[in-house]
Parts: sequence; structure tokens; C-alpha cells
Amino acid sequence: MRHLFVMLLNVAALISMLFVVGCAKKTTFVLLPDPDGRVGEIAVTTDKGTRIVSKADHATQVSSAQKLPSQPEKMDQEAIQEKFGMALAADPGQPATFSLYFQSGTNQLTAASSNLLPDILAAITSRKSKDISVVGHTDRVGAEDLNYRLSRKRAHTIKSLLVSKGVEPDLIYVDAHGENNPLIAAADEVAEPKNRRVDVTVR
Amino acid sequence: MKPAILLFALLFFLIHAPVSAEEPVAGVIKNTTGKASIERDASTQPATSGMKIHVKDALKTGPEGTMGVIFRDDTTLSLGPDTRIVIDEFLFSPAEGKLSFVSKISKGTAAYLSGKINKLSPGATRVETPLAVLGIRGTRFLIEVE
Repeated sequence: MRHLFVMLLNVAALISMLFVVGCAKKTTFVLLPDPDGRVGEIAVTTDKGTRIVSKADHATQVSSAQKLPSQPEKMDQEAIQEKFGMALAADPGQPATFSLYFQSGTNQLTAASSNLLPDILAAITSRKSKDISVVGHTDRVGAEDLNYRLSRKRAHTIKSLLVSKGVEPDLIYVDAHGENNPLIAAADEVAEPKNRRVDVTVR
Repeated sequence: MKPAILLFALLFFLIHAPVSAEEPVAGVIKNTTGKASIERDASTQPATSGMKIHVKDALKTGPEGTMGVIFRDDTTLSLGPDTRIVIDEFLFSPAEGKLSFVSKISKGTAAYLSGKINKLSPGATRVETPLAVLGIRGTRFLIEVE
């Protein structure tokens, strides 16, 4: 008797679970232009296939995982604001980024880059930043592992510099991207001074 | 024989011991209004500006709540009211070729602006919803799950 009861309970739980899954959750996807005006692309995929949205302010909707997302249609600004106004208003804004350059082969900053330090410190203060990244980059001249190490060493130099100016060490995250996150795409062994840098990102 | 048993016991313990290692940091909360919280390791704490977001965290807002987050790859994400988003995967290590950003929104509204992970590896960013998966190529977009 008790077994039967437990079994019935399980069946009921299973059915209610299926019900919840079954009537989830109409979903709207809207593509917006990037802040610089360019328009990217989103691909929305259900069990039935993929719908691409590639025009600004166009939306596709999904009412069931077993149906293709709807044909993209333009959504007017009023409707976007009505649905997404509060999410859009919570935009944290872009972080402040600074690229620092070094005298070739050394961890000495160029004079122009040294002059950026007060701006970095001001950005940390004005944003009350609790998350600052200091990331070293190099170009593709020389061995990749040496470049990686040089980029890391330069990043640590900048961290020490910021700490010496009073920035809390715990707030600074140091990383090295070596050759693999260039500002300017360049072929291997091609000197590209713009890629020999430390990026400071103040969030 | 005995050392072998000890070794197995030790291995068993190591494998089954609770993992206390913290998940890596993915980003930082910049702003909140109303009720906003972070769910981590089955406990919930109020979300405040300056708090770090870790991989596996769930970001939640209440009926009047909102939250804005900047990730380590400069992706920005803002949540409207009554929203729940889990950061399933966040890997931003270009030097090791590890790039991926997978999040899951189960309800509510969100605005995304993709960052460097998407720029360096188009296709490495995915947003999962209960009915559909969204992939992107360099983009700002909105999602509502009713």
C-alpha cells in the first residue's frame, strides 16, 4: 500500500515536472546596434533549427523548443523600452582602458606612457574600482614563450608601479596574453610596436 | 600489501574530499538597485557594487531589482527585474587558447554587450535559455524569458 502511494507521488512529481518544462517560457531575442553603430549578428537555435538576426532592432521569438524561432521583425523603440527599459538602464558602462608602451626589449615605460599614470589613478578613484586588470602583450618577433614571459614581467612592473602609488594590491589582477591577443593583427616575426604593450583595464 | 591499501585509502579520501578551491573570478558588480543577490555554493548573499562574480555564481534580481556587471573580457551584462542568470563557464586565457563564455538565463530580462572573448574567438560565447540557445558574432543584444 505504502509502496503504491510513494509510486503515485513520484508519478505526480514527474508529471508536474513535465508540465513545467512543457509550458516554459516564451523568449524574445533582440539585436541592438553596438555603441559604435556597427550591427553584429545573433543566431537563435531551437531543436528545429537556427534563425539568424542581422538587422538592428529586429527581434525573433521562441514559443516552443520544437518550433523554429519566428521570422525576425523590427521592434519599435517604445516596445524595446517597455520590455527592457530597466535592464538597459542598469548598463554598467564600458571600463576605462589604457595602453602602456615600453622602450624596446626593456621594462622601462616610454615617456608618453609614463604620463598616463595620473589618468589611470584618477580613473581608479572616480570609478571606485574594485577590479583592475594589468595584462601584458607582445608582438610576434622572437620565441613565443620568451614573449609570454616578457609580457608577464612588464605587467608585474606596472602592478608594482600602481601599488607604489597607493592602489590596493588585492584589486589588481595580473595576466599575460603574450602574442595571442594583439591590438593589430600581424604575421609571425613581423615587428608591430602597437602590440608590445601592457593594457590596464579599470572596471 | 598494507602500503597499497593505505595508498588506496588516501586516494579515495583525496578524490572524495570536499573541494574547497574557489571558482575563478569572472567579473565585478558595478551597480545594483532594489533587491539583487548572488547565489554561490547554495548560499545567497546580497549583491553590492564592487563584489566579484565567480564562475558558477547565479545572479538574481527581485521585483524592482537591477544589476550591472563588467566581466574580465570587458563583456557587460545588465539584468532587469525578476531575473536569474548563471555563469556556467568563463575562460579568458588567450595565451593558452582557452576562450569561452557560457551563461544561462532562466527568467527575466538582460542586456549583453559582448567583449574580447567573442572578438578573439567568434562562436565561443553562448547564452542558453529554457527553449533556445543564442550564439553571437560581436554584438549587443537583449533577451527576455517570460
